[in-house]
Amino acid sequence: MKFSHILAAALVASAAATAALAQQGINSSQMATSLAGVSRSGKLSLTGAQMRQAVLDNIRNYPGALPSHPLSFPELEGLTQIVVEVDFDFNSDVIKLSSYRTVGAIADALHHPLLLGYGFLVIGHTDSVGGRAYNVGLSQRRAEAIRTALIDPFGVNPAVLEAVGMGEEQLRDPAHPTSGVNRRVQLVNVGKKFCFGRSGEQFVCP
Amino acid sequence: MRRTSVLLALAIFGGGIGTAAAQTMSYAEAISQVSTVCRNDIARFCRGVPLGPRLRACFDANEARMSPQCRQTAQTVYASITRRAAAQRDIGEVCSADIMRLCGTSFADANLVECMAGLAPQAMSPRCYQTFMDTGWATERTRR
Repeated sequence: MKFSHILAAALVASAAATAALAQQGINSSQMATSLAGVSRSGKLSLTGAQMRQAVLDNIRNYPGALPSHPLSFPELEGLTQIVVEVDFDFNSDVIKLSSYRTVGAIADALHHPLLLGYGFLVIGHTDSVGGRAYNVGLSQRRAEAIRTALIDPFGVNPAVLEAVGMGEEQLRDPAHPTSGVNRRVQLVNVGKKFCFGRSGEQFVCP
Repeated sequence: MRRTSVLLALAIFGGGIGTAAAQTMSYAEAISQVSTVCRNDIARFCRGVPLGPRLRACFDANEARMSPQCRQTAQTVYASITRRAAAQRDIGEVCSADIMRLCGTSFADANLVECMAGLAPQAMSPRCYQTFMDTGWATERTRR
């Protein structure tokens, strides 16, 4: 996959919806709207720690060069989410300069009034190059690198962001496991975390 | 003064839709300026430094050695980012009285931005108006 286009954002409510919007000027407003349209009501019971454990369990229970058993999280399936391409240096968690704009656009979207107070999972995925356990670590560090940049300088509240590394356990194109389409960042709206009072003060939603 | 800077911003960003113009850049626009104008300086002085607090620290540490274009861009960009982030963080408190009085709603209501963008600037307190402009929300209206 070419790194030519800065961003491919697509609604992934159904896995078939691959009509990616590749464009030079990223429309963060569109991103925000895609991420809003609220999710199932009720709080997500699944934690980031549980997801990380499920990833490790999947490698232990189904060993092999490639994941023979695709990991799924039914809890996430009804949630509003987008997929974004962020490029990193090879084997590194350093975001390429060519993806700075994309990270900025994610920050714009997360600060959109529609999304104020909502929590998000930042889920990193790799392709199948490299060992599975190694890729879990790499994708975790990459997801954390995005989270770190969103917090400082872009001012996203750390309490609404959780980074999870999925490694290669959820290949987007299992028939072509080394394809670049597998390398991606998934942003999942996990529901409202903070509410606002009449004086604009923020508090944990009851 | 405020009016001239609004006009200036209109001229710079061209076609500010609706009633208000942005006075801070979008984060996407801001940081992409750094990635283009400072490409060579980052390669020389900040190679391998991740986007985030460490990159900003690297800019600060190497300011004197960087090209004038990059130095100027980085200063402008980080000032804009900081100002927009502060406005987005503080607007609920800064504007709470105006919001209740003029929009009859509480903060973080999706209709709030529409309401505020439709107000005459002089209807709001100057600090509230300035903060609202700095959030950039007036130009990135809620579309549904």
